[in-house]
Amino acid sequence: MKKENIETQIKRASAPIDKPAGEILMIKFEGVSKLYKDYSLALENINLEIREGEFISIVGPSGAGKSTLLKMVYAEEMPTEGEVYFNNHPLSAISKRKMPFHRRVIGTVFQDSKLLHKKTVFENVAYALEVLGASAEEINEDVPQILEIVGLGNMMEKFPQQLSGGEKQKVAMARALIHKPIIIIADEPTGNLDPVSSVEIVELLLKINELGTTVLLASHDKDIVNKAQKRVLVMDKGKVLSDYAKGKYKFV
Amino acid sequence: MFLTFGRTFKESLKNLFRNGWLSVATISILILSLYVVSVLFVVTHTVDNILKDVQEKVNVSVYFKPATSEDEIFKIKSNLQSNSSVKSIDYVSRDTALENFKRDNADEPIILQSLQEIGDNPLLASLVIKAKDVDQYQGVADYINNAEYKEKISRINYGRNKEIIAKLNNVIETIRRVGISLGIIFAVISILITFNTIRITIYAQRREIEIMRLVGASNTFIRLPYIFEGILYGILASIVSMLILFLTLKFITPYVSSVVPSENLVGFYVSNFFQIFGIQLLVGVVLGMFSSVIAMRKYLKI
Repeated sequence: MKKENIETQIKRASAPIDKPAGEILMIKFEGVSKLYKDYSLALENINLEIREGEFISIVGPSGAGKSTLLKMVYAEEMPTEGEVYFNNHPLSAISKRKMPFHRRVIGTVFQDSKLLHKKTVFENVAYALEVLGASAEEINEDVPQILEIVGLGNMMEKFPQQLSGGEKQKVAMARALIHKPIIIIADEPTGNLDPVSSVEIVELLLKINELGTTVLLASHDKDIVNKAQKRVLVMDKGKVLSDYAKGKYKFV
Repeated sequence: MFLTFGRTFKESLKNLFRNGWLSVATISILILSLYVVSVLFVVTHTVDNILKDVQEKVNVSVYFKPATSEDEIFKIKSNLQSNSSVKSIDYVSRDTALENFKRDNADEPIILQSLQEIGDNPLLASLVIKAKDVDQYQGVADYINNAEYKEKISRINYGRNKEIIAKLNNVIETIRRVGISLGIIFAVISILITFNTIRITIYAQRREIEIMRLVGASNTFIRLPYIFEGILYGILASIVSMLILFLTLKFITPYVSSVVPSENLVGFYVSNFFQIFGIQLLVGVVLGMFSSVIAMRKYLKI
């Protein structure tokens, strides 16, 4: 039986039990602004609520602030004004030392995969578990499983350089999922991919969302946003212009 | 926790090999430092032994006028024996002195001839006094000079030895100082170079480190490989340095033996192997780890 680790504790502690699923507030942006040192305003007065289990597509042109918004959630950047709440905890209250624990309940996927070049596919995915201090048995059991699910079961010993763009993203997805996060943050995951791989990735995200994981997807690819047919946030120049409950890509 | 340690250790080993020439350069300078310090250690030991040898040969010889009887000399001997600074006193009679002289100059026919010409034994009886410590000879000489039996003394032979000992002490001190300075210089250089290596490694891997942070690796988890790498550098350097030291000692032993016959360097190495290795290991690992930590503090922005 797995010992309950601190990530599980955080999840348990923060999820209120008296509200039905789908109603639990996971992320809240309160008057969030981000002004960079060179005086560029990346985000301006963002007010946003994201519930557990939602699938949100964030769209807008380059420079709209999509990535910055996402960075706020996994605490890569801190707001210069306002506060971001994650499961009712203000992120600014998390010390640098405790930040890894916050990151461990999040799974991230980026446009450039961000794989460790000197590790094999297997080792890359396993790393997410090693960070948690998982045992060798767990790793040897879970990693092949998830790689099978994403369709890379026979490529475990390959290195990132030997993979195609789509395959690399699948590894990134596998790594983002293996530690069973409560939220997946995908920043332009299909940016470098061909249409077929792009669809595969989105379908994977949708499937994960069906199982209960919250998904935040930033993209300027209208096709995949339309395919998702979920809540859409339209951003431009650091502001949220519109928030469609079940949207199509309407941005001109 | 031990699981993480084991994993990180294997990881560091892999990284060490992957760094190739960079690792070789770093380890080389570490080896040089350790080697210099070890050689200093050996040289100090050898020189100390030489000093001991010489000290053994140092003595104060009190020569008595021919008129002094053996009884009187023996009385004086007991008197001196009670002096706290005196370690031992040997009595050399006139006859014994003559025998020794003839033996020492056996291949100098002219000297032996002139001895025969003189006829009588020209040599005097003496008491050869050894003090417990080199510094006490002056005191003993003074004591004798002020003693009541002073008129019976022909001369006291001590002066020359004093200079030899003083000179030898100077030489030893100089060697020690030079050695320590060299040691420190090399240690500083080693730290700088290991520091630089780790710094370059961190820089080269900054993207990887970023990724590790994104995946939720704790600061310790990220730092451990670099610390281990520093330690590994230290360990490897110690091992190689010990080997080189051994070869060096083997090589120079014949030369040293001709100067200081009592010294057996290789034997010294073997009997003190674990001490020497232990110190080297400690110094090597400390240097390696220290450089690692400084590099990380400056360049691994957590």
